[in-house]
Amino acid sequence: MKKKSEKKKRILRLIAIPVAFCLLLYLAVFAVGYPMFSDILSIGSVFLSDKQVDYSKEYENIFVPTGDSKDTVDASEVEFPGINKQFGDLKIKGRNVDAKLFFGDGDIALRNGVGVYAGSFVPGYGKTILVAGHNNTYFNGLKNVKKGDVVTIRTSWGNYKYKINKTAILKDTDKKAFDLSADEENLVLYTCYPFDTLGLTEKRFFVYADKISGPEIVGLYE
Amino acid sequence: MKKIIALIAVVALAALSCIPAFAAGINSAEQSVLNNMRTPSNMNGNAVYVPDSYINQAEANFNTIDMTQAQADEINGYINAGRSYLESTKRSSYGELSADEVKTFLGYARAAAGVLDLSAGAGSDLTKGVKIINKSGDVVIDESGNVVKATGAGDEAVPMTVIAVTGTLLAVSCAGVLLSKRKTAVK
Repeated sequence: MKKKSEKKKRILRLIAIPVAFCLLLYLAVFAVGYPMFSDILSIGSVFLSDKQVDYSKEYENIFVPTGDSKDTVDASEVEFPGINKQFGDLKIKGRNVDAKLFFGDGDIALRNGVGVYAGSFVPGYGKTILVAGHNNTYFNGLKNVKKGDVVTIRTSWGNYKYKINKTAILKDTDKKAFDLSADEENLVLYTCYPFDTLGLTEKRFFVYADKISGPEIVGLYE
Repeated sequence: MKKIIALIAVVALAALSCIPAFAAGINSAEQSVLNNMRTPSNMNGNAVYVPDSYINQAEANFNTIDMTQAQADEINGYINAGRSYLESTKRSSYGELSADEVKTFLGYARAAAGVLDLSAGAGSDLTKGVKIINKSGDVVIDESGNVVKATGAGDEAVPMTVIAVTGTLLAVSCAGVLLSKRKTAVK
């Protein structure tokens, strides 16, 4: 009788301990790595659902491609984008960079393309444009860029070209990586470094470019 | 003749309606708020500025609205009151403010945002940022994270992440089973 109960306990222990351990570990990993788990849940829903995932419905697209650009465009003709709105696209010819351009650099923007930090400015404003993109998707091609390459940004109010003048690998907290108070139009693209790395890294690959063409937005200030 | 005038009027109105009209640009009322935001607070002898990223985001938002002078005056009143409060705390930086002081200061920020039907929120530490949303729940200003974002894990990383996490869970479960077996054997 005693032997039977001991055996039962042993079997119970063999099942309960790993299960409890597994659950506790899962909770701990979940708490620490929630951002990654949201991706897992999302891919899980892809396996469980027979519907095709359509990310295009999670944002508004206000981008209407335009032809040749003038030298200037009046502010009244510019529809300034709100956060999470696609207002253009960004390409670097021959370097495998071709992405939708959003205002704001949150999850929605970076899942669907690349995003302009809302504390910087849109092209034509004459100030800093700071653009983020994932290193394993839309900005993976930044690893191929060279000094002199041209970045093309198309918006509804004009098409812009920027010439790359340098690249740099810096820490994400480096305050000298860009200047948000600059009064000269400059484009800064960045992504996590090393390329193809998984998870969080404190280094970023920055690409700096100067404006070479595209309409200046005039009549911004009364 | 009347018909011709009516026709011209219709064509003119139709043409006018085709011209895109956005609340673009910064009017004098909005400019006064931006200038006021750029004025530093004298915190215990230190000139403490609102970060450029906040002012730039405010400017980006003002490009999508048309603020009236009355709204600007009200907002500037709250900004001035908030600045006076910061100076009265005798702290030297935002980071030194206590949770209660942050709460009081945020009251001014909320009141200023409220003039434009926006709501502002923040944690107990002002240095960790502020988020402002509109009535529809859309984010208007988001300074709740770092300026430079984490850009190292897009959707293409998911299969690798699944494999890595599953592998870890399996390995630890096996270790648990082995450990319990060993203990049983020792007994």
